[in-house]
Amino acid sequence: MTELKRPLPNISKESQGFWDAVQQDKLVIQHCHSCDSNIFYPRRICPHCWSKDLGWVEASGKGTIFSVTTTYLGTTAEFSDELPITVAWIDLDEGVRMASNIVGCGPEQAKIGDRVQVVFEKANEDFKLPFFKIVEA
Amino acid sequence: MGKIAIIGYHEVPTQINPERTRWDILEEVITGAVRNAGIDKDDIQGVINVAPQAQPDLISQTAFGLIPEHFGLKGVKDNMICNAGGASTTNCVRMAEQWITSGMAEVVIVPHTTVQSDIPAEDLISFFAKAPMHPEWEFPFGMTFNGAMALITERYMYETNTSEQEMASVTYALRDWGSRDPMSLFFNKPQSMDDILNARKISTPLRAKDCNMLADGGGCLIIASEAYAKKHCAKPVWKLGHGSAFIGATPAVREDVYWRESYKKSTSEALQQANLNVDDIDIHEIYGAYPFSQCAYVEAVGLCDEGEGARYHAAGHTLLGGKTPCTTMGDATGRGHTGSGVSMAFYCQVARQLRGEAGDNQVDGANKVMVVTAGGSGMNALTTIWGAE
Ligand SMILES: [Zn+2]
Repeated sequence: MTELKRPLPNISKESQGFWDAVQQDKLVIQHCHSCDSNIFYPRRICPHCWSKDLGWVEASGKGTIFSVTTTYLGTTAEFSDELPITVAWIDLDEGVRMASNIVGCGPEQAKIGDRVQVVFEKANEDFKLPFFKIVEA
Repeated sequence: MGKIAIIGYHEVPTQINPERTRWDILEEVITGAVRNAGIDKDDIQGVINVAPQAQPDLISQTAFGLIPEHFGLKGVKDNMICNAGGASTTNCVRMAEQWITSGMAEVVIVPHTTVQSDIPAEDLISFFAKAPMHPEWEFPFGMTFNGAMALITERYMYETNTSEQEMASVTYALRDWGSRDPMSLFFNKPQSMDDILNARKISTPLRAKDCNMLADGGGCLIIASEAYAKKHCAKPVWKLGHGSAFIGATPAVREDVYWRESYKKSTSEALQQANLNVDDIDIHEIYGAYPFSQCAYVEAVGLCDEGEGARYHAAGHTLLGGKTPCTTMGDATGRGHTGSGVSMAFYCQVARQLRGEAGDNQVDGANKVMVVTAGGSGMNALTTIWGAE
């Protein structure tokens, strides 16, 4: 796969675990041990109970498209070579919603309600991003 | 009658005009508003400036007091700047109210200018693509401001079974108001449904005409105490109520996806404070910057059933002469987007409508106007209600 030119996430101390897992082809979700909730995106304290007793749970990587758009114009220049790009909000089976890209299909192919599965793709030699592809329901 | 009133306003047309500098615009809108109010410049006791987006030099200059010094405002006791994105003007007005009701000031000016067209296009796209998007959880996936709003629109259309044609009718309504507003970038440029539906795709389902065009502009409000307004102003525009609701910063993780619940909270709070019912409101001015927000709002305040917002627009109810004229300056879609300044344009329009000065967009007999503004990528819903004497 050709190297993507897109900007990479600014990783913080509290999100390091998420991105480390992605590099090992795993999708993890932050979990609060105090109130037993799944949290997305990762934070320093639980937004529900303010506990700092936080850890990670491995997600199934399966989810459903809550909404999807194909972007033709208006991204920053680093994305130009990838346009059109399909951006979606995905409801993971673990009960959190995240933004990502739908890959492996053409523009305007993905639909609300489609079942998706995470795939890990190289943005460059050293860094992977979690994307999603459509799977049979 | 309220505790504060808008007693003067002035606005420059929204244009793409890099020749017109930030300080040119500030001079025009501040002197214009003071003359419009018919007051003495030295009666101004406070300056609360709207922070423009992507203008760091101007933000520093105005935050640190250059406006009262530049204009020789001898009566000024304090100066500040406010940044709540597109909700800044509402917050400036609320701060002015606090300064006035606490006895610190009788007259406060709220100016704003943005010039975006002298910023290199690449920098501007980069700024507006990134500014309201989460740098770690949205931006690396190619999410833009338009993209996030497209995701909301797509889901809205799916859940409410709204057709492309029905959705385009919202843009049509906004552009229709804009085409008759000399302050709009789209003045004298009437649009057809075909123009809207055939515009190039930006981020499905949004086409170019559904999205904002970045532009330059500015305006200024003069806010005064009840006593001062009664003594010095023939046509004060009174603030009657206020409500607010916070929605959330990152669109992907918001529970209130369409902002409908927040619109309900902030408008009902404002109506209660003003002791009014929604039927008392003659005009609804909705700053949501994208068409779906117009739909969610008319549903939230009960002008139509939930899910019927686009069809309510398609039936022509929100147009001039319709049942409930909405967003008579066209929102950002029908006006152009001046960073942080669209809410200023809304308040100038409120004053125009209530004073009978809205020209070809005048709603006959307009006596009560509700306005809702939002900041960031829709982080909040701030409602205010205004009335003429
Ligand atoms: Zn917790």
